[in-house]
Amino acid sequence: MPERVAIVGVGYSDIRSITPGLSYKEMMYEAAVRAYEDAGVNPRKDVDSFISVSEDFWEGTSIFDEYIPDQLGAALRPVHTVSGDGIHGLACAAMLIHTGRARVVVVEGHSKHSDMRTPAHIHNFAYDPIYHRPLGAHPHHLAGLEMTRFLFESGNTREHCALVVKKNMANALLNPRAVYGARVSLRDVLEAPPTFSPLGELDIARPADGGFVMVLAGESVAGDLAGDPIWIAGYGWCTETPAIDSRLWGEAIYAQLAAKQAYRMAGITDPFRELDFAEVDDSFSYKELEHLEALGICRHGEAGGWLEDGLTLPGGDFPVNVSGGSLGGGHLLEATGLHRVHEVVLQLRGQAGENQLPDVERGLAQSWRNLPTTTGCVVILERA
Amino acid sequence: MREKLTNPDHVRTWPGTIPVEHVYTVGVAGEAFLRAIKERGRLVAVGCPGCGTDYLPPRLYCERCFEKTGEVREVEARGTVDTFTVAHRDLEGHPLEKPQVYAFVRIDGTGGGLVHRLGEVDPDDVHIGMEVQAVFLPPAQRTGSILDIVNFKPAE
Repeated sequence: MPERVAIVGVGYSDIRSITPGLSYKEMMYEAAVRAYEDAGVNPRKDVDSFISVSEDFWEGTSIFDEYIPDQLGAALRPVHTVSGDGIHGLACAAMLIHTGRARVVVVEGHSKHSDMRTPAHIHNFAYDPIYHRPLGAHPHHLAGLEMTRFLFESGNTREHCALVVKKNMANALLNPRAVYGARVSLRDVLEAPPTFSPLGELDIARPADGGFVMVLAGESVAGDLAGDPIWIAGYGWCTETPAIDSRLWGEAIYAQLAAKQAYRMAGITDPFRELDFAEVDDSFSYKELEHLEALGICRHGEAGGWLEDGLTLPGGDFPVNVSGGSLGGGHLLEATGLHRVHEVVLQLRGQAGENQLPDVERGLAQSWRNLPTTTGCVVILERA
Repeated sequence: MREKLTNPDHVRTWPGTIPVEHVYTVGVAGEAFLRAIKERGRLVAVGCPGCGTDYLPPRLYCERCFEKTGEVREVEARGTVDTFTVAHRDLEGHPLEKPQVYAFVRIDGTGGGLVHRLGEVDPDDVHIGMEVQAVFLPPAQRTGSILDIVNFKPAE
């Protein structure tokens, strides 16, 4: 059996809609200092390897991985970048420890979205250059296409999606780290200006700046560190296909398969009963419903009904995105997965403040790499 | 402790731009597809001899079983609306004067399809399962691009 791995330290750079006062390096430094303080480690002595997740185009710098080490205390040390979501990075960090190659590993992810002058153009550059991009449509049209098909196949409704927005923005009001908290009515969501119908303006998570640093350690050293350990019980990741002509439009197979790997590793056969809560990707309102069904937490077509019955509310049987998710907390590009993980860690530690759920032992964090991808990651975290 | 700025005018930024230009090699399968559009106003698909998965646009290899695919075949540029959206914003995020419908059109007799514009239809009349056909540019104006298809419109 490989050694068990825990998240022993977490730190974040304050999440804001804009951060004109700090450079991305200073934001990363802020998150790193907090994480190292939390874990009780000195990055110059105690950390064996560092991992960052980033994308050159979001950063506006080619070969961006070269700009990572200094602000993490990682200069002259093993460091590499994963071009993927934060949970990809977290899984790599855990595996470095499983192999025995490292005992303490740091993972970092951030968003400096507000530095981008032409985000839709950069996003559009991710679309197939021959068959899709020439149409010149805003990248979010793909979410409109997915949503139409998802609602058609699952039987969930436009109103259910609006309920996701209402719930997550209300949850965010109680979370001091969340930037887009608001009390919105179903009507506010349904009557918001249409963008890519059936998507309205409020169904789309707005971008934010911020970042996370996490310190991971193997069981053999975790006990010697200051941080309150939260154990990684399982993880998985999966990419379906980049092709828009052969992917499934109404189902998140990537989340289903990533969860299958994570559940197997964690020994979970009935996620609804064996997990206490989840933080799932809600970059677009319908995605929360689609992901809940793909994760097997509820059955296909049930997610909207669950929401109607209040099951996924903070006081419900299976709270989802108590933190406010991305709709209430801001979308953080490749740091979105770590955003979800951070909130699960705080819940399991009992440090979630006004959002704290009672008696939670085990939670799930799930990410999706946003449009146009079919890539998702899942991690299961537990208290003991 | 770091000093935090309180006057936004004191924040310094430096603007940067990169002229990103690229050519994308369309490849063997891509060339067969774009030539069919340009030269004949038709679409081509390809099947996998290993598992039977069918592709439009065609590919040289099968993503399901990793076999090399077979010969491309011509198909009618007609299909059904698998899903659709009404865009109210342009690429800049500005409101469009006239909303534009986009659809994923599953091409008849194939396993694939295209995301493209829908035209000559009221957005309120578009529905999943709607039968549509491609409208091509006049032959002389075609360049061998997905934009040689002007849009899809309700089938006649």
